[in-house]
Amino acid sequence: MKGASLVPTGEATLGPFFPPRYVDEGANDLTVFEGRKAKGEAIEIHGRVLQEDGTPLENLVVEIWQADAGGIFRHSADPRHAQADPDFLGWGRAATDASGNYRFKTVLPGAPEGRAPHINVMVMFSGLMRILKTTLFFEISSDPVLSAVPPGRKGLLVAKKQGPNSYRFDIRLRGEDETPFFDD
Amino acid sequence: MPSVIQPRDERTQPSRIVPGYPQTPLRNPQQSLVKRAPTLSELTGPLDAAKRVRLLGGDIAGHGGKQAIGQLIHLKVRVLDEDGAPVGGALVEMWQANAAGRYIHPNDDDRAPVDLNFYGAARLVTDESGAFELRTVKPGAYPVPTNDGWWRPPHVHFSMFGKVWLSRLVTQMYFPGEPLNAQDRILNAVPDAAARDRLVARYVPPTGNPPDALVFEHQIVLRGRASTPGQP
Repeated sequence: MKGASLVPTGEATLGPFFPPRYVDEGANDLTVFEGRKAKGEAIEIHGRVLQEDGTPLENLVVEIWQADAGGIFRHSADPRHAQADPDFLGWGRAATDASGNYRFKTVLPGAPEGRAPHINVMVMFSGLMRILKTTLFFEISSDPVLSAVPPGRKGLLVAKKQGPNSYRFDIRLRGEDETPFFDD
Repeated sequence: MPSVIQPRDERTQPSRIVPGYPQTPLRNPQQSLVKRAPTLSELTGPLDAAKRVRLLGGDIAGHGGKQAIGQLIHLKVRVLDEDGAPVGGALVEMWQANAAGRYIHPNDDDRAPVDLNFYGAARLVTDESGAFELRTVKPGAYPVPTNDGWWRPPHVHFSMFGKVWLSRLVTQMYFPGEPLNAQDRILNAVPDAAARDRLVARYVPPTGNPPDALVFEHQIVLRGRASTPGQP
């Protein structure tokens, strides 16, 4: 099909019936992969997901993608991928509990070339006709993605440090303090 | 080869707020989405997420005394990128209602019966030609609890992992000739008629192979291409 140009398939909502077994036990723990421990500083990322009226959302699916502790992505497009930590997958999935809380264990990502340390976050749920994508940062820093966010809203993408290795990142889908989501 | 991700034609994608779908105005952003130029971070992604999850296989209709009730169907799906190149090794998650329109899920309190021989979920990886096959039963339609006459037509959910973060896809596949397709609020949230048609599987007239199932073919296109069109 050389020269073909196909149109990407239309998205649709995850709906309310995403099988619970698809949120595998341990899928929210990125610090261990195939029984081996990832390099770097282990951290916890947790937060609440709320809709416009402040209702916490249960069974919402959160996925993350990030570089390893050295700032390298486990992917052939990263020129440094041969040096990536073999014991770090970089991807994880969690579902929110009845109080709307999700939780990941991971390692503090290093700074990829040209970027500040960050974690890509996506949210899928009933009523979301398209995946919502955002990015978690650890501080306001020089970063092309953070720079794209209007000045008054940048702080909403910075996780709050709550302890030596614990960060809180709440996700508000709509309304007051709405999390900035990216158009992509 | 690095992937290129370009903006999509908005008419080929669903509106975020859907009239008559009451959750959509509460959960979708009010503020403008922030435009960004993708960096390496968004143009990489989990290539081996399958190693983190348990695969379930694509044969979910059951066998022997454990067969699910319903019309046995074979779904033959191909996963391609925008160049038409097969996306092999991609993790695919599928879930659907049983033939009576009931999901095995704590959220589904519909009055339709559970089929104890049908869980309704498959999780597998595409082959080198981007293909995967499912042996299942045709899902039933079911009423949505908005209680205003909205029924979901028979459909199959797919969650797919492409080569990069921005090619991740959650979609639904419909069946041809279903009268409920014309009024479904989710299918019709896609403005472009041709894009809606591409969400509907193609019915393949029976040839005797397989002898026991109706065959449907479907194509899914993930975002991303190897190079910009027009360039050598």
